[in-house]
Amino acid sequence: MSKEWKQALAGLAMVLPSFAILLVVVIIPILQSLMLSLTNETGGYDLSRYHVLFTDKGMRANILFTLRITVITCALVLLISYSLAVYMRFNQGPIVELIRKTYMIPLFIPGVIATYGLINLLGNHGWLARLLEHIGVTLPRIIFDEKGIIIANLWFNIPFTTMLLSSALAGIPSSVIESAKDVGAGRYRLFARFIFPLSYKTFLVALTFVFMGVIGSFTAPFLLGANSPQMLGASMQQVFSVFQEREQAAAMAFFTFLLCSVLGAFYIRSMAKEENVRM
Amino acid sequence: MLWYWKKVGVKRIIEFVLLTVFAIFFAGPLLNLLVLAFCEKWNYPDVLPEAWGFKWWNFVLAKDDIVSSISLSFFIAAIVTALSIVICIPAAYAFARIQFPLKRMFLFSFLLTHAFPKMGLYVSIAVLFYRIGLMNTLLGVVLIHMINVLMFMTWIPTASFRNVHRAQEESARDVGASPFRVFRSITLPMAMPGIMVASVFTFLNSLDEAQGTFLVGIPDFKTMPIVMYSIISDFPSSAGAVFSIILTLPTILLLLAAQRLVSADVLASGFQTK
Repeated sequence: MSKEWKQALAGLAMVLPSFAILLVVVIIPILQSLMLSLTNETGGYDLSRYHVLFTDKGMRANILFTLRITVITCALVLLISYSLAVYMRFNQGPIVELIRKTYMIPLFIPGVIATYGLINLLGNHGWLARLLEHIGVTLPRIIFDEKGIIIANLWFNIPFTTMLLSSALAGIPSSVIESAKDVGAGRYRLFARFIFPLSYKTFLVALTFVFMGVIGSFTAPFLLGANSPQMLGASMQQVFSVFQEREQAAAMAFFTFLLCSVLGAFYIRSMAKEENVRM
Repeated sequence: MLWYWKKVGVKRIIEFVLLTVFAIFFAGPLLNLLVLAFCEKWNYPDVLPEAWGFKWWNFVLAKDDIVSSISLSFFIAAIVTALSIVICIPAAYAFARIQFPLKRMFLFSFLLTHAFPKMGLYVSIAVLFYRIGLMNTLLGVVLIHMINVLMFMTWIPTASFRNVHRAQEESARDVGASPFRVFRSITLPMAMPGIMVASVFTFLNSLDEAQGTFLVGIPDFKTMPIVMYSIISDFPSSAGAVFSIILTLPTILLLLAAQRLVSADVLASGFQTK
């Protein structure tokens, strides 16, 4: 056997175990849920499970509700995270140092705990309500409805997005910015011509993560959301575990895949492109 | 940045207010749980509790199912971490150093774990597990925990192995070291920080995983986050706060220990190439 052959076999042998796990936990389940979602009640194949998604009143409300929350959250998260990342990139001082050291902590706090903390802080008779009561302000109801879900999703997503974006901004050489400033570029020009174009790819990757993170979220809508309309993540769990309608749950799962397909494909493509350059 | 600081004044005030809101938003919920866990009596409009103490700690630690969930969580996290090290590190080494067919396809296939919304993926897995009898089994729970870690467990170490200079490996070979010796004494130690970070994340990720376990592990595999779901609805908030601290403590300790290694760049390299 030649050396190349030996190498090729060794390489495959080292990769295959992890690929096998990937096959069992991602590829087969997705194909299977596609098949299952296409079966109707009599055992034949058609689109009736998807038909339900758009004709059933409750289901349609859930889908619209999910999309609304997702779009609002994405916009807010990206706006806040981008500002924070830019702020940290172009400022120095003790405050920036402090943010830099601490902003990643929420990434490691379990979602259940964070949600629970938010309930206690912002809920009726929560800490914030107590504090505001003293200065004579009554806290409006901000948790246990769509605002609560959005707030919790902001809490989960801002640190991660900021992390991705600041790592991208750190990659912009200071010399580029200095020389742009030397030739008289103002702050907005600098941002529009240099900073944003040099980081928009990561911006899109971050958008992908937030979009999918919110559509596929469960903990926040499960603990904070009302019974109807529900986010798709919570509703799916209910259809699967409580109503035991596995085909319908599979159709809902696959529907969320379709919603995210464009962004998901973009994510894989852009990663693949970068990686090809280096291999 | 001078051009920024020249405009001090209103700007600084806005900055200060924004940062304060930020700090309250992110630290407030956690601080609140900390206060709740050590309070014994807290009437409504008061800003701070009247009586402090460990009453709720005794209450929580006396519940058998809560205590057993702690050991179950650590047991599962240890299995998941060990298994993913054994499976993913060789793959990472192969991606970084060995030429083999379809290498790119295999490397990119790990991106699939992050290209689908999580709950949809978990429901699909649960549908499959239901069919092949993996519902409510240890193997099923371990597998569902591995989804989230497969990617950074291969990508972060791949990046670390790539960063080891070939020249160093070659010069070791030149003085007569065997390939295995080179790997053990040169390549592995130099890639260790990346592997450590990935392993710590894997452990924490498994410790905190709630949604997948909730779908496939009920009723027998009640890990800490699952118990937390029921604590939230069944117990007073102080009990929940105590348990929150118990659940968060390992995370904080491990992160402090690994603080030197964790940076935005290393973390980000698990999700994207740079």
